[in-house]
Amino acid sequence: MKRQFTIFSLLMIIAVIASACATPTPQTVEVTKIVAGTPEKVVITATPEVKPTTLPAGSVKINGSGATFPLPVYTDWTYAFSYVDPSVAINYQGIGSGGGKKAIVDGTVDFAGSDSLVTDAEYTQGKDLQMYPMVAGAVVAIYNVEGITTPITLDRDTLVGIYSAKITTWNDPAIVALNPDLKDKLPNKTITVVHRSDGSGTTEIFTKALASFSEDWKKNVGAGSAVEWPVDKAKNGVGGKGNQGVTAAVLSTPNSIGYVELSFALANGTPTAQMVNKAKKTVKPNAESVQAAMADFANGFDAKLTATIVDAPGEKSWPITGYTYLVLHQTSMTDCVKAKKLLEYINWTLSDTSAAKRAGELGYSVLPSDVKAKVTAKLGEVTCGGKPVMIK
Amino acid sequence: MKVSSLSFSKWLDQRLNHGDRVWNVLMLTLSLVVPVLIILIGWQLWIDSSGAREKFGWAFLLPTADAAWNPVFGKFQAWPFIYGTLITSAVAIIIAVPVSLGIAIFLAELCPAWLREPLSWMLELLAAIPSVVYGLWGIFVFLPFVVKPFGDFLTALLGPIPVLGLFFEGPLPASGASRLAASMILAIMIIPTIAAVTRDVFLAIPQAQREASFAIGSTQWEMIWQVLIPYGLSGILGAVILGLGRALGETMAVTMVIGNSIAGSVSLLSPGYTMSSIIANEFAEAVDQLHSESLIEVGLILFVLTLLLNSLARFLVWQVARRGTEQDARS
Repeated sequence: MKRQFTIFSLLMIIAVIASACATPTPQTVEVTKIVAGTPEKVVITATPEVKPTTLPAGSVKINGSGATFPLPVYTDWTYAFSYVDPSVAINYQGIGSGGGKKAIVDGTVDFAGSDSLVTDAEYTQGKDLQMYPMVAGAVVAIYNVEGITTPITLDRDTLVGIYSAKITTWNDPAIVALNPDLKDKLPNKTITVVHRSDGSGTTEIFTKALASFSEDWKKNVGAGSAVEWPVDKAKNGVGGKGNQGVTAAVLSTPNSIGYVELSFALANGTPTAQMVNKAKKTVKPNAESVQAAMADFANGFDAKLTATIVDAPGEKSWPITGYTYLVLHQTSMTDCVKAKKLLEYINWTLSDTSAAKRAGELGYSVLPSDVKAKVTAKLGEVTCGGKPVMIK
Repeated sequence: MKVSSLSFSKWLDQRLNHGDRVWNVLMLTLSLVVPVLIILIGWQLWIDSSGAREKFGWAFLLPTADAAWNPVFGKFQAWPFIYGTLITSAVAIIIAVPVSLGIAIFLAELCPAWLREPLSWMLELLAAIPSVVYGLWGIFVFLPFVVKPFGDFLTALLGPIPVLGLFFEGPLPASGASRLAASMILAIMIIPTIAAVTRDVFLAIPQAQREASFAIGSTQWEMIWQVLIPYGLSGILGAVILGLGRALGETMAVTMVIGNSIAGSVSLLSPGYTMSSIIANEFAEAVDQLHSESLIEVGLILFVLTLLLNSLARFLVWQVARRGTEQDARS
């Protein structure tokens, strides 16, 4: 009897807390975002409309699914866009690039997010699929080395060397040569190499870069969302699930190295390595160096608007970068109202300054203007019922 | 007209045994849902993995020292995952059974009445913790402070012994992520299940059994070991099966602590991989047809293995129960 009462009162407390949490969202357009630990107010440059708690009549629901790599920025954008146009509800589920592409081929979603390219078979099945680069992200090496506080510098060969288990200790001559001032500090300890255990776009960008850095890597390991890691065979490799898993493994393992998305490293404040790029210049991972890489390859797009942007030749370019794409049906969308709203949303993400600011704060780099122009032009080719959806 | 419809309904009523037959058919249908579901799941897994099965044949699941799992070049062998699942579940059972038995005996026989209720409650609470929480706790607390020192101790103690030493070959990775870590987390997760069921088994044993044992002069220890445990053996085995079922299929916590590496070592102290964790890890991004079919085949193997182990365990329970009744009949 007494126990039942305890349980009942516990349930009541939970119910009260839950109802307190469920109070309507603040009715302002000022949104506090926490980036790298410091709260900051972000003002959306849009007509300040009160966000209704229920969707107004005639509103449109747009569903998308796919890559988890851009999930933070897509979530943030759809939240902000609900203030710009309250009649649109966009729902994006991060189920993985593979699942997203399957969903758009099957027509179960309105758009898909993908880090990997749509394959020829999928183009045949999906008929009129088109890819649009949305933002670029960088992959960075994070590390935990005993007694080192200043940033470590790595170059393309040493990173490949570490991940192929050819460089196995931190005081390897190749690493010491790149970090002369850390000569006496780099420990004679085995490097524990952490990689993603789950298939991911992050791994795809990272291995693409390694394959571009080294012919040996390209031949023996290759690039993909999941690969067979040479460090696992050499027994100094560990897999972590997700960016969180890799970060946790690196932080809890002395003398380890791992790779995560830049946005994730920024949010956690983990030490990131600098890289010597193809032009033999040392660069830090940030929005500028990623944009420099995008600019290097601005003319490298194919007909489907895809480009590989790893190992960029520019002096300021971060070498491990990749686009994340939206995938749409270019000519066969049937609901023209929905198609229009979807394109308006995409256009907003590309052109609005607050959208760009939001992406930048989350560690993504927005497209340089010449790339943006290409994407906008391609969006103009989207038709519904034979008529162009975007009217200039 | 009225007469005929009345007689028809009477006839129907008799024909259907006053509704009993309808009731029987309904219950039969409901009970068939489970076996039909099992067959359908198995069938679906079989169909969806056809490409991988044709390409790799039995080599997919046979033991190899140097197995490949290479999505880039399309080479897949499942042995490291099969081994990982089997060894972590086996070690988890080895750790969990004695502990659970101890808990159950204490709760059922030795515990003072005022302590029994809160202890039982906490035991059941342990079973309600979501596995992802176990995983997080594992990464940040259990691995560095328990598994790492314990694993290093095991390497030093058992590593040099031939053959057995292979299973305790060090060094344990500095993070502690290893098959041993997964086994120990699994053991903690299945202890509540095994202990709670075993306790209920002990509580269901008639008091007369205990009194008879005391009457011929046994100590409490002798009563427990010579009367209670043999009497409840089939129930205890059933509890162990429940635990084994959870250990074989557990995904989240294991994925978080096992290290997810296909190292060609049999050692408990090196990072490993299980069948459920490779599926959870790679299925979402398995774009390539052969890759996803291979993952589905791993699922099929896990499915069959679980069914086989459960059947085997059922058979054991049945054997023990039958031997028990034969003894009863003889005495």
